[in-house]
Amino acid sequence: MTALLERETVPAEAPEPSGRGGLAGPLVKIALLGLVAGLAVWAAFPLIAERAWPGLAVLLVATAGLFYLYAGPRHIPAKYLIPGTLFLIVFQLFPVAYTAATAFTNFSDGHRGDKQEAVVAIQTASVTRVPGSTEYALTVATTGDPATGALTFLVTDPASKVVSAGTPDGLTALPAGDVTVNAAGRVTAAAGYTLLNGGQASARSREITDLAVPTPGGAIRSQGLSRAYEGKAGRAYDAGCDCIRDTTSGKTWTADGEVGAFVAADGERLAQGWRVGVGLANFTRLVSDSAVSGPFARTLVWNLIFALASTGGTFVLGLGCALALHSPRVRGRALYRTLLVLPYAMPSFAMLLVWRDMFNTDFGLINNLFGLDVDWFGGAASARIAVILVQLWLGYPYMFLVATGALQAIPPELSEASRIDGASPWQSLRRVTLPLLLVALTPLLISSFAFNFNNFNAIYLTTDGAPFPADNPANGATDLLITYTYRLAFGGSGAQYGFAAAVSIFIFVIVAVISTVSFRRTRRQEEVYS
Amino acid sequence: MRIRTAGVVTVLALALAASGCSGGGDDPETPTSAAPAGGKLVIWGDDKRAAALKPFAEKFGQENGVTVEVQAISKDQQTTFVTASQQGSGPDVMVGAHDWIGNLVQNGAIDPVQLTAEQLQSLAPNAVKAVTFNGQVYGVPYATENLALIRNTKLAPTAPATIEDLVAQAKKLKADKKASEILCLQVGQNGDAYHAYPLFSSAGGYLFGTTAGGDYDKNDLGIAKPESIAAFKKIQALGEKGAGALKRSITVENSIATFTAGKCAYLVSGPWAITDAKKAKIAYDISPVPGFAGGKPAQPFLGVQSFYVAAKGKNKALAQEFVTNYVTTPELAVALYQAEPRPPVLTAAYDQVKGTDPDLAKFVDAGKNAVPLPAIPEMATVWDPFGKAESAVIAGADPKTALTAAAKTISGQIKP
Amino acid sequence: MTKWLSRVGWRHGVALLALVFSLFPIVFVVSAALNPLGTLSSTEAVPTGASLGNFANLLSGTDFARWFGNSVLIAGVSAVASVFLSALAAYAFSRMRFRGRRVGLLALLLIQMFPQFLAIVAIFLMFSTITDLWPAIGFNQAWGLILLYLGGALGVNTWLMKGFFDTVPRELDESATMDGASHAQTFFRILLPLVAPVLAVTGLLAFIGTINEFLIANVFLTDTGAKTLSVGMYGLVAGERDNNFGMFCAGTLLTAVPTVLVFQFLQRYIVNGLTAGAVKG
Repeated sequence: MTALLERETVPAEAPEPSGRGGLAGPLVKIALLGLVAGLAVWAAFPLIAERAWPGLAVLLVATAGLFYLYAGPRHIPAKYLIPGTLFLIVFQLFPVAYTAATAFTNFSDGHRGDKQEAVVAIQTASVTRVPGSTEYALTVATTGDPATGALTFLVTDPASKVVSAGTPDGLTALPAGDVTVNAAGRVTAAAGYTLLNGGQASARSREITDLAVPTPGGAIRSQGLSRAYEGKAGRAYDAGCDCIRDTTSGKTWTADGEVGAFVAADGERLAQGWRVGVGLANFTRLVSDSAVSGPFARTLVWNLIFALASTGGTFVLGLGCALALHSPRVRGRALYRTLLVLPYAMPSFAMLLVWRDMFNTDFGLINNLFGLDVDWFGGAASARIAVILVQLWLGYPYMFLVATGALQAIPPELSEASRIDGASPWQSLRRVTLPLLLVALTPLLISSFAFNFNNFNAIYLTTDGAPFPADNPANGATDLLITYTYRLAFGGSGAQYGFAAAVSIFIFVIVAVISTVSFRRTRRQEEVYS
Repeated sequence: MRIRTAGVVTVLALALAASGCSGGGDDPETPTSAAPAGGKLVIWGDDKRAAALKPFAEKFGQENGVTVEVQAISKDQQTTFVTASQQGSGPDVMVGAHDWIGNLVQNGAIDPVQLTAEQLQSLAPNAVKAVTFNGQVYGVPYATENLALIRNTKLAPTAPATIEDLVAQAKKLKADKKASEILCLQVGQNGDAYHAYPLFSSAGGYLFGTTAGGDYDKNDLGIAKPESIAAFKKIQALGEKGAGALKRSITVENSIATFTAGKCAYLVSGPWAITDAKKAKIAYDISPVPGFAGGKPAQPFLGVQSFYVAAKGKNKALAQEFVTNYVTTPELAVALYQAEPRPPVLTAAYDQVKGTDPDLAKFVDAGKNAVPLPAIPEMATVWDPFGKAESAVIAGADPKTALTAAAKTISGQIKP
Repeated sequence: MTKWLSRVGWRHGVALLALVFSLFPIVFVVSAALNPLGTLSSTEAVPTGASLGNFANLLSGTDFARWFGNSVLIAGVSAVASVFLSALAAYAFSRMRFRGRRVGLLALLLIQMFPQFLAIVAIFLMFSTITDLWPAIGFNQAWGLILLYLGGALGVNTWLMKGFFDTVPRELDESATMDGASHAQTFFRILLPLVAPVLAVTGLLAFIGTINEFLIANVFLTDTGAKTLSVGMYGLVAGERDNNFGMFCAGTLLTAVPTVLVFQFLQRYIVNGLTAGAVKG
C-alpha cells in the first residue's frame, strides 16, 4: 500500500519532458522518415531493373503507408505496432502461410518443381554418348562480339586432326591453314573467329550448354569448355500425347496430373515428377493410414505429459531457487545467480549431446558415478524420466531468471503486511506472492508449454524416440508428435514436405486450442487481480 | 507546424538525392542474375572437404580467369543442396557421397557427366559402378572408403580368420584383464545399419535383390526373408544376451575412443579412425572384417565420394569443365588424398601414394569384397528401421518380429 | 546459529544443491575440453595430461575467432533490435485501447507455436529472390540473418514486457501528458527507464536464443568466414566420425563466455527492482 502511495507522489518529481527536449523528437522523426525514404529508393532500383512491377508496387504502397502513418498525428497504436508486425508478417507469417499452402500439395522429393522442369530433367538425363563416336577437343568461339555474337564450337577430331566448326545448322570442316591447334588438340586461333576465354564463356554458360550441333547420329554437345561429345537423347517429350517417348524402344510414359509423374502402361513411373495439388489427401492419410494414426493417440498423451512436466518442473525449481535467493540477507547472491544461469548460457544442442552420453549404460557418468546399472534409454519409463530430467536441467535457469525479476516487482510491503496480520511465511507465499506471480508469469508458462510441446531437439538429440518396441520401428516411447512427424516425413523415401505440412497444421491446432483455452481461463483470473 | 513540414520536405529531398546518387551508381553494375564479367564457380561440400578443396579451386580459377568460391555446409548437406538448387540458390558443383545419386536424380538436381573411355579406364571400376545409375554416370568419384578391422597388435598380434575366433581371443583378453570390451563395433541405442552390414551379409542376409542388369531392385526386399532372419539370429548370438560382443552402449561417440584408450583390442571402423589411433600411439594393423565361420565373406559397404554437376547451377559449362576435366587429373587426386587420407579412385594417383602409406593398400584390400552403398532413393527408407531392428535383436528381441516389422515399415514407404 | 540456519542458512543450502545440479555436467565438459584425447567415455574429473591443447587447436586450426565475432555481432544487434521492437509493441498493448488488441495479443502467442518444418524451404524461396535483388541483405550476409531473426521479435517477450508495463501506474503517464509530453516522450523518457529490469531480462533471453540458433544459420551462412559459432561448432563434431570432441567442448565453453558476460552486465538492471526505479524517477 505504501508503495502505491509513494508512486502517487512521484509525478511531482517526474522530469519535465517539454522544453529542451521539445525539438529532439521531431528531428529524430524526420531523420527516420528520411532513412525510410532512402531505403525505399535503394530497394526500388533493382526492382526496376528486373521489371518486377508487382514487387515495386508493394514497395511503393508500403512506403506510402509508412509515411502516412508516421507523418500524421493519428493512428497512434499503429505507430508502435507496425515495426515489429512488419517483420513478423514477412518472416514468420509467410512461412506459416507457405506451410499451410503446401499441405495441400504432394511437395516431396521427386515432386519439387513443375512439369516443365521434370521434362527437362528427364531429357537431359537420357542423353548418352553415341557408342564409338569421336571424343572431340573443344574450343568455344564466336563470329561476332564475345558477349553477344553467335556461338560456334570449334571441335578437333583427335584422330584425324581435322577441325570443324559446329553451329546449330551443322558441322562444317575448316581448312587446316585457317586454324592453329595446340599439342592437346585444342584450337588456339582461327581465322574469322574470336575465342572465348574462361570469363566470357562463364557469362554465356547457358547458351554453351544448350548448344547442340546436329549430326547424323545425334548431336554434338559440350562437356565443359575443353571437350565435346556426340550424344543422343534417349527420351523426348511429345506435346501431342503429353508423354515422354523413348526413342529406341518406343515405350511411352504419359503425364498423370493427379500424381504428378509420367506413368507407363505397365505402371512404371519415371523418377522425375512434379508438384501437384492433392487436396486433402495428406490430411486423410494422417487419419486413415493405420501405421500413422495408430500410435498417434499414445504419442499425444506422452507429449502432453512431457510438456506439462517440463514446464511445471522447471517452474517449481526455478521459483524455488528464486525464492530462496530473494532475501537481501543472503550474501553472494550475484555469484549464485551467475553460476545458476550457466546451464542456460551453454549452447543447448551441445549440452543435449553431453547428457546423452552421460546416460550411456556402460560408459556414462550417471551409471558410473552412482554405481547403477540402469539401461536408461532401453526402457520406456527410464527413458522418459531421463528426458524430463534433462529438460529440467536445461530449463530451470530461465524460470529462475524470470521469477527473480517478477519477485522484484512485487512490493515487499505486501508480504510484510500479511505477516503482520499473523500469516506464516508459507501462507503468505501461497496467498499473496504466488497469485501475483502467476498473473505476471502465466503467458510465459503457456508459451513454455507450447515450446516444450514442440521441443524437437530435446528428444532428437538425446534419445531420438528410443526405446522402440520390436514391432514398430517408427514410433518410440519418448517420441513427441513433432519427432514422430519428422521421422515419417523425412526419414522415409525422400522428404515429404506436403505430408509434414499437414501434420504441422494438425499439431498446431492441438497446441493452439490448449493454449487458447488456458489463456481464456487465466485472463479471467487476471481481471480479478488488476 | 510550417517549420516541421519544411524540415520534412528538405530532409526527404536530401535523402532521395543521396540514395539516388548511390542507387544510380549501382544501376549499370547491377546485372540480372547472370554471373559478373569474370565468371564465378560455386562449390559446396562439408567442412572437411571444403577446407581440402580450397587451394585447388583457387588454382583452377587462376588458370581459367574465373573466381571460385568453396563453401561448407555443416549439416544436412544433401537436403540443403536440393532445396537451394530448386530455388536457384544452389552451387554449381557439389561434393558428396555416391548414395545421394538416386535422390538427386529424381529431383532433377544433377546432370549426367560424359567421361571419355580413357577417363573411365583410369578410375577404379568399383567406384565407377557406384556412380552409375540407370545406365548413366552421374558423378566423378575421387575417393573410396569402407570398413575394416583395426586391431591393437600389442593385444592381438594375429588377425582372426572368423568372427568366432575374434570373440574367443577377445574373451581371453578380457579374462586376463588386458581389455575390458570384446569388440568395438558401434551400435548405439537405435542401431547402425552401416556397421552391421558386414556381419549381416556374411551370415547370408541381404537388403535389396538385384535385377538382371545388376541394378538394385526396389521391389525385392530381402529384409524379412528367411536368410536375413537367420542372419539376425547369428547376430543376436553375438549380442548382449549372448557373447556380449555387440552392445548398444558402444556408440559412434565412444567406439573409437574406447579402442584408442586400449580398452578393446578390435575395432571395426574406417580410415577416419586411423588419425586418432596414430595420435594415441596405438600399434595397429588393418585386415578385412572377418565373417562368420562357414558363411560368406563379410561385405562392408563401399562409400564413394564424388563431384557432381548441379543441373540448375548458374555456370554449368564451367562446372562441367571443373568436374570432368580438372578433377580427373592426378595432381588434384593426390592433393585431396593428402588432405584427407582415403584411397584415391584414380588408379594413377593410387599407385603414386600407396608406396608411402601402407594402410591404404590394406583398406583397399579390406574393401575387395565391398558392395557399393545402394544409391536408389528407396535405400533411404531402409537405414532407420534396419538399424532399430538390429539394436532390438542385440538387446534380445525375437529376430523374426523385429525384421518383419522393419520390412513392413520399409515397404509401406516405398512408392510403387 | 539455529536462527541463522532457519532464516538464511537454508537458503544457502538450497542454492548450493541447485549449484551442484547445474554444474556437474559443465564440470564434465570442462574436463573433456582439457583432455588431449578429448573423449566423453572417460569418467575422471581431471584427465591425465590435462592441457590447453584443444583450445589452442580450436583457435588456430579453425575460424573460431571469426565465428565468435560474427555470433556476438549478430546476436547482439538482433537482441537489442528485437527488445526495442518488442517494447514498442508492448507499450501499445498495455497503454492503448484499440480494436483487435486482445486478438493481437493471443495471436502473438500462437504464431510462434507453429511447427516450422518448412521454414527452411520458405526461407530459401524468399531469400533466393532477395539475394538476387538486394545482395547486401541476402545469403551469407549478417544483415540478412539479423532481419530474419527480427521476425521473431514479437512474441512471448512482448507479453512479458506488457505485464511489466501494466504494473507502472497510469497516473505517471497522465501527469506527463498534462505537463505537455507527447506519447513518444512518455514512452522513451518515463516508461522505458522504469521497466529496465524486464528489458534486461528480455535482452538476455533474446541474446541466448540467437547465439544458440543454428538450423537457419546453417543454410543461410555457407561461407566459412561468415558462419556463426553454433554452425561452425556443429560442423566440428556432427557427421565427423573421427571425434573432435575435445575441441567441441572447448568451443562450447568459449561460446558460453559472451552470454555470461552479458548476464553480468545486465545483472544490476535485473535486480534493480521496480520500486527503487520508481523512487529515483
